Parts: sequence; structure tokens; C-alpha cells
Amino acid sequence: MSNTTIEASSSKSGATQSDSAPRPLLEVKDLQVQFTTSTGSFTAVRDSDFTVYPGQWVAIVGESGSGKSTSAMSVLGLLPGTGHVTGGSIKLDGEDITHYTSKQFESIRGKRIGLVPQDPMSNLNPVWRIGTQVKEAIVANGMDVKREKRSELAQRLADSETDGHYHGDDDELFIGSAQLPQLIENARAAVASVTDDAEAVEKAMAHFNEQWVAGSSTRWQVREDLIAAGVPADEAKRIATTYVVGATMDDRIAGLLTEAGLPDAATRARQYPYEFSGGMRQRALIAIGLAARPELLIADEPTSALDVTVQKRILDHLQFLTDSLGTAVLFITHDLGLAAERAQHIVVMYKGRVVESGPSLEVLQHPQHPYTKRLVAAAPSLASQRIISARQRGDAAAADASLDHAAKDAQQIAGSETIIEVQHLVKEFKMPRRKEMFRAVDDVSFSVRRGTTCAIVGESGSGKSTVANMVLHLLDPTSGTVLYEGKDVHSFDRRQLLDFRRHVQPVFQNPYGSLDPMYSIYRSIEEPLKIHGIGNKKTRLARVRELLDMVSLPQSTMTRYPNELSGGQRQRIAIARAMALNPDVIVCDEAVSALDVLVQDQVLHLLNDLQAEQGLSYLFITHDLAVVRQIADDVVVMRQGKLVEHATTDEVFNSPKTQYTRDLLDAIPGGSLKLGLD
Amino acid sequence: MTAQNHAIATPSAQGALPGQERYVAPIEETPLKEVDSVDESQPARSMWSEAWRTLRRNPLFIVSAVLIVLVLLVAIFPSLFTKGNPNYCDLENSLNPSSPSHPFGYDLQGCDVYTRTIYGTRASLSVGVLTTILVVIIGGLIGAVAGYFGGWVDAVLSRITDIFYAIPLLLGAIVVLQMFRTSTSIWKVVFVLALFGWVSVARITRSSVMEAKNLEFNTASEALGLSRGRNLFKHVIPNSLAPVIVVATTSLGTYIVSEATLSFLGIGLPTTVVSWGGDISAAQNLLRVAPTVLFWPSLALAITVLAFIMMGDAVRDALDPKSRSL
Repeated sequence: MSNTTIEASSSKSGATQSDSAPRPLLEVKDLQVQFTTSTGSFTAVRDSDFTVYPGQWVAIVGESGSGKSTSAMSVLGLLPGTGHVTGGSIKLDGEDITHYTSKQFESIRGKRIGLVPQDPMSNLNPVWRIGTQVKEAIVANGMDVKREKRSELAQRLADSETDGHYHGDDDELFIGSAQLPQLIENARAAVASVTDDAEAVEKAMAHFNEQWVAGSSTRWQVREDLIAAGVPADEAKRIATTYVVGATMDDRIAGLLTEAGLPDAATRARQYPYEFSGGMRQRALIAIGLAARPELLIADEPTSALDVTVQKRILDHLQFLTDSLGTAVLFITHDLGLAAERAQHIVVMYKGRVVESGPSLEVLQHPQHPYTKRLVAAAPSLASQRIISARQRGDAAAADASLDHAAKDAQQIAGSETIIEVQHLVKEFKMPRRKEMFRAVDDVSFSVRRGTTCAIVGESGSGKSTVANMVLHLLDPTSGTVLYEGKDVHSFDRRQLLDFRRHVQPVFQNPYGSLDPMYSIYRSIEEPLKIHGIGNKKTRLARVRELLDMVSLPQSTMTRYPNELSGGQRQRIAIARAMALNPDVIVCDEAVSALDVLVQDQVLHLLNDLQAEQGLSYLFITHDLAVVRQIADDVVVMRQGKLVEHATTDEVFNSPKTQYTRDLLDAIPGGSLKLGLD
Repeated sequence: MTAQNHAIATPSAQGALPGQERYVAPIEETPLKEVDSVDESQPARSMWSEAWRTLRRNPLFIVSAVLIVLVLLVAIFPSLFTKGNPNYCDLENSLNPSSPSHPFGYDLQGCDVYTRTIYGTRASLSVGVLTTILVVIIGGLIGAVAGYFGGWVDAVLSRITDIFYAIPLLLGAIVVLQMFRTSTSIWKVVFVLALFGWVSVARITRSSVMEAKNLEFNTASEALGLSRGRNLFKHVIPNSLAPVIVVATTSLGTYIVSEATLSFLGIGLPTTVVSWGGDISAAQNLLRVAPTVLFWPSLALAITVLAFIMMGDAVRDALDPKSRSL
């Protein structure tokens, strides 16, 4: 990096500016971020470049530890712990903010750059009402609660929408809740006076009732709505000017929450965070992030913790909102599909560097850097097919034929070779301080065929994990039966149960919790052999080595401890342990959900290869339909404890029978995009 | 290294805004690593070896460890540090000031203060160590059972714990020790301190076990066929030891103080046993006349207690769950 290039590039941008090209809102050049640790310093981000223009969505994509969040946080001056910017420059609207003091950063945070943090559960203060927390954001940034603050870009947009009637200032006054009933009444009279059609009046009124929100809709919007409904311009102007005179603080709080998509916002504002679901909390955080109308919103994995359908609704809403306000969004995600769907420009980061950037579709459809290619290849999407096992891959010539063949075989033996059958399973839990029981699982029946994968898909709270735990005999059902090879699992005595445990093994979701941190990897994998008294010390050691080979981990891993391994490696250890007793069935409860795309892909391939080699049957619990497509033969869709749909994977994906399944499919990010390698 | 140097412009990128042209980094800059490979160059580290590494570098630990080793040596081999006999007293020497051969001087009875301080170490330390062992066994067991099995077992055990918690240590000890005035063994003090001391360890163990039992690996082991009872000893207890060790180390010091307090009150160790508490008690009237007689055993007591409390702090830092995660 030399000075001449800086000058060259700045003079170049100066030149383009005179050509009336838009000015970049955020310009990050050669950013370098270091963390000081006890053993020296560690460079988390190096030579990172990206640019965001007003009103644009830019996505930074990368796996965990790639430096994507660190890059974004350095823009806000919010680097955690010992992190500090050691090189490069960050310019906000042409002004260099790289070496701002914390006080200077405070003046731009909220006001000019907003943040929607990653974890909705821990980012709201549990002892304050939601409304108070929104109010804090309004007050701290000195926002006028009477008027909307619209960016220049959005003002130009408003101007063109209103045929030049837009004047700014008083035109931006909000509706107040005190005047709203009168406004509606007068609007009704005005609309009724221009049309005799009662139905048209009702339709217009319904539109007004929905659109006109106290503390959110402004005078000019009311005027334009009235004109659109046929009211003469003079009358519309009179009504809007008389009855839209600005909002109160409470109106504005409710208005902001409504904008973020929270229904019944005035009541909700008086509630506490614990009364909110994850999706609602994230909406509150969006309201807070946008409260001071920043020019740039940094959204750090804003929906990663949420269900896909909730994610889709929230992002749709956020996109609509930022478009109308002219807010640019710097969107951080690990999900390629999501990035492609939402952002115009995409920045791929790997090991602290930007490895590829460009228009999002172009990057994803014609990836050039090997890392991007790898990411695109591993990204599960609707377009992907079921993973073909290594054995079948080797059999390239007959691959297609054998797949068909296997499928036919499987169908032929489906009747006789059911390995797990679940019949009318019901599980009720006692709710605290409630009389009635909560039905977590409600009359669910399905079966798993030997040697195939059956996936249970559903959102959080659908009861899918409860079903898995009952199949594993870790929970007793309220009623209904689980049959393993025709025998009722819950009627087993001690010895039969121990035998059942040899045949049916789980792999759990949390790779950080499912291995005892005090046990070496050797002891962890050996444990099942010891419990079941299999072999002696020597044969057990040989078996552990064999199992590590099976999950493609070096044998030296044996002496290590879980805290030294990555999430994906721990999950492979968990699989090795589950495989130790040569089971027939493995129940994977969200086994790949916590992993990065590439690692997830690797584990899915491993599971699939093991299935082909050992004839394993999987019961695969997941919330991710794209993963289902890659691994499952049959799908069970669950919603609120009930079975919604049960069919083969192809049937579910090609011709879903219920609206809920269709919604789920629609919500898969980037589902409609065709990703591909050249 | 600016974007311009390496940008590979593709034909369709020409419409892009400045700064957003298509850019592909040269591969040499970030060579692709194999997905999720294990770093075999690092030596394997368990939680304990990790904690040991942290401890070794903590000056607090080094200072306290040196002190504790020294105190232990004194307690086990007092004759290495003094040639004198703690019970040899000559009234002729009463309150004689220090001299090169008797650096701490003499007390009222004419006993050598240095020798008595050295010999007093054993009594104080034995009480501290034995009480801690007893407390960890009783408190650990009750806390672990209460936390692991929960339900009515927990309810009963927790109420019993609460009852003991409500009795002030000193008050309880005075009442109980009054009954054993005639006993000359140090065990009576150990038992009394343990009787009222196990409560804090039980509480810590209970909460620590309750946290450990809800971790997912317990479910995994249950699904492997491990019985509940064995799971407690194989997985839950090893995972809940860390806070118990911290509390035990810190309490060791406080037990020594309690012993001294009881001896000071005249109901602790019998007068035939040389102990710091007893000597401090005997010296209290001499505070104005000969403060050094009071000073030396008190200093020994303070240094020993401080060493154990510092050790507890260092161990807590090393075993802190926050520094343990990755």
C-alpha cells in the first residue's frame, strides 16, 4: 500500500463524482484489525476493501472466524476486547472516521450508523419495557418525534412519487394518535362525497386503516393516499394539513415498532422482553436500530437464530422499510442464498481477507476464487440433489442407474423392512401454573425404512425433537407406541433396553455440549464399548482407531480434548461414538445446524457415505429444508406438534400438498436462485 | 495492495459503481486450507493441563505455592527449623527480648516464642487440612446427591443444609465444644468445624452439579446405556469439581482462623497442644508490655491463611469457565 495509489484512487473517485455518479456512503480501504493476546497479536482482518452506496444492500459472506463481523464492528468503533484498527481507512460519506475517539463514534452511532445485533435474546435489557428501550434510542440521538427524518435519496423518491408536491418539513409531520380518529372520519366523508359506491368507500377505508399508523405515516403520505382514492387535491391537502399535526413520544415508539412489523405495537411497547418471542425481539431491535434514521444500518446475522419463515417475514419487512427510508444496509451473513437474494453487492471473506467481491448474482453464478467456488458448491439450496454416496460416486458409469435401482429396491422392501415405526405418538407436558396440559406432540405416526433417511422438518416448537427423544427412549410418551423392529420400545425391560441402546444411537445438535470436556477423545469414543463390556483394552483401542478413520480424523486426535477441536470435528467425534456399537439406526437431532456451510456439507457427505457402507437408517431432525433435500428419502413435516405432511422427498419438494409446506419451501433463502459453477 | 492492482475485470462488471467492481483476490494471498482439518502440531491439552499452564504463569500462584510448601515443611519437620523444645520454659527468661539465638524473644512463661511458633504450625495446619477433607467429603456428597437427584431428595437435603446454615459457626462450636471440654485430641475441633462448615461446600456442589447434569453429554451417555448412578460419578462429579476445589482451598485458611479463634476463647485445642491460637490467647494480656509475643504467632497465622486464600484465588482464575471455553 503506497500513498500514490491512495491519491490515484481518490482523484479517480473525484473524477467520477463530477460525472454525477453517486457518492459512496461507506468506503473501507485496506482495513487491518488486530487483537492483542497474551501470546502476541493476532490479525483478524487484513487488506479488506468494501464500499456501500446510499440505499444499497451489501452483504459480507463468510464462515465463522472469517473476519466479517470484525470488519463491520470496526466501522461502528465497537471492536470487542483488545481489538483495534491498525491500518487502512474507513470513510463515512467522505469523512475519515478511522481514528475517531470513542466520543466521536458515539455521535455517529445510532444517528448515522445503526446496528441490528445478532442475538435477539441477549441484546435487550430484560428489566426495561420494550417501549422504554425504543425511547432511549430516540432520546439519546435527539430525534424529533413529530417529524420523519428522511434521507436525501428518499426525499427525491418521495418527490417523484408525489409529482413534485413534496415539500419536506411540515409535510413530514406524523399522524398523532389523538387526531387519528378524526382523520379517519374526515377521510371517510371526503371519499364518500366523491363516490356513491359503498364498496369502494369501504375498500379505501380499509386501506387507510391499514396504512395510516400514528407515529409512522406522514402528512404527505396521507395526502397522496387521499388523492389516490379520488379525493380532490385541495380537499386532500386540507384534511392532511388539519389532522396530521405531529406525534407524541408514545405514538412514535408505537409507530417505530409497527414499522418493524410488530402487531398491536402500543400494547407491546409496555411489555418486557421476556414476553416476546425471538422474532418479536428481533423486530424490536430493528425498530431501535432504525429509530434515529441512520444512513447506514449494520445487520449482523440479524435472523440467524430464527426460523426460516420468520426470517423471511422480517427481512421482507426490513427491505421494504430501508427502501422507503433510503437506508443502506451492510448485511453480515454466513448464508450465501440469503446474501444473493437480498443484496446487490456481495463481499466474500475468508481468513480475514476479502477473497472475492462483486454484483451478488454474478459472484454466485460465476464464482472465480476457489474459496467462493467451494462455498457455492457446498451451499444447500433447492436446486441441489440428494448426495450420492462415495461408493456410488466411484461407480460413476452406473451411478444413475444404481440410484434408480436402489430406490426401487427400497420401495419394494418398504412394507416388510420398516425398522422404526411410530404410531399415534402423543406427548403432553405440564405447564407451570396452568391446569391444562401442553400437547407438544399430537398424534404423530410415521415409519423409517431400513437403510434410508427419514427427515422430520419443522420450526422451533413443532415437537420434532420431542419425537426424537421418544424414539430414543429418553422420554416416555403420554400415549402411542414406538416400534423398533416390530417391538414396542417402551415395554422393554432393563436388559432389552440396553440391547436397544446398542442398535439405536443419537447424534445431538450442540457440538460443544455433547462431548464431556473432561474426557479425552479416546475415552469419549471408548465409553460405549466399555458400558456394553465389549472387547478388552487392546481391541477397544483398535476399534477407536478404526472409528476415527471412518470419520476421516487423524488417529492422533485420540489424545486430544473436545476444547481443542472445532464444532465440525466434535460432531464427527460424536458420530464416531454413535457408530462404535455398530448401530442400525442413528437419530440425528439438528446434527449439522450449528456448523458452517462447508463443514455442514462435509458432515452430510460423511453421514451419507456411512449409510451406504453400513446400511444405516437415519432419523434426521432438522429445521432446514435445503439439508433435507440433500440427505433424506422421506420427509415428515411437523407443525405445532401435529404431522402436516409425510411423503417422499421428491413429492414434498415437487408437489407439496399443504400450504404450510409451501410456505416453508418459499422461505428457503435463495431457493429460487440457481447457483452454479461454470 | 489495493483492489486496482488485482482486480480481474469481467465484461459485465463495467456497469458496477466505483469501488464495487468485480474483484477476485489472488489465490496466493489466502491459500485454501482443507476443510476443518485438525492441527496436529499442537500438543494435546486437557482442561487440567490447561489450568496448570495458566497457574504456572500466575505470580499469585507462585508466591502462595512457595509459602504453602514452606508452611507444610515447617509443620511436618519442625525440628529442621529449631533445635529448641516448645515446652521447655524457664521463668527466668520471662519476657526477655530477642537475642540472636532466640530471635522472637520469650513469652511470659519464659518459653521461646520462635520455637513455639514453629511447633504451633502443625496443630493449625492439621486442623485446617483435616477439616477441609472432611468438609469436602460430607458437603460434596450431600450437595451432589441433592443436586443430581433433585425432587424430594433435594428438598429434604436442602432444608437440612439451611438449618445448619442458620447456626453461627462460633456459637455452635462453643456449645458443642463445651460438652467435650475434657477431650485432649485435636479431632474434636476438626469435627466441630466440619459439622458447621460442610454447608457452604454442599451448596456450591449442589449448584455446580445441577449445572453439569443438564449438559448434553449426559443425555448422550444415557442414550449409550449408562445408568444414572454411574453417570453421576463418571461425568457429573468430574465436571463439577472445579468450583468445589476453589471453595475448599479458600476455606482451608478460614478453618485455621476459626481454630485459632476457638483456641483463643479457650475452648479449642487443649492447652497441652502448642498452637498459634493458644499462644495468641496467652499473649493478649501482654499487648502493652511485650507486643512482640503477640505479634509473631499472629503473623504466622496471617501469612498461612493469606497463602491459602491467594492459592484459592489463583485456582479460581485458572479454572474460570469463561477462560476455559476454547
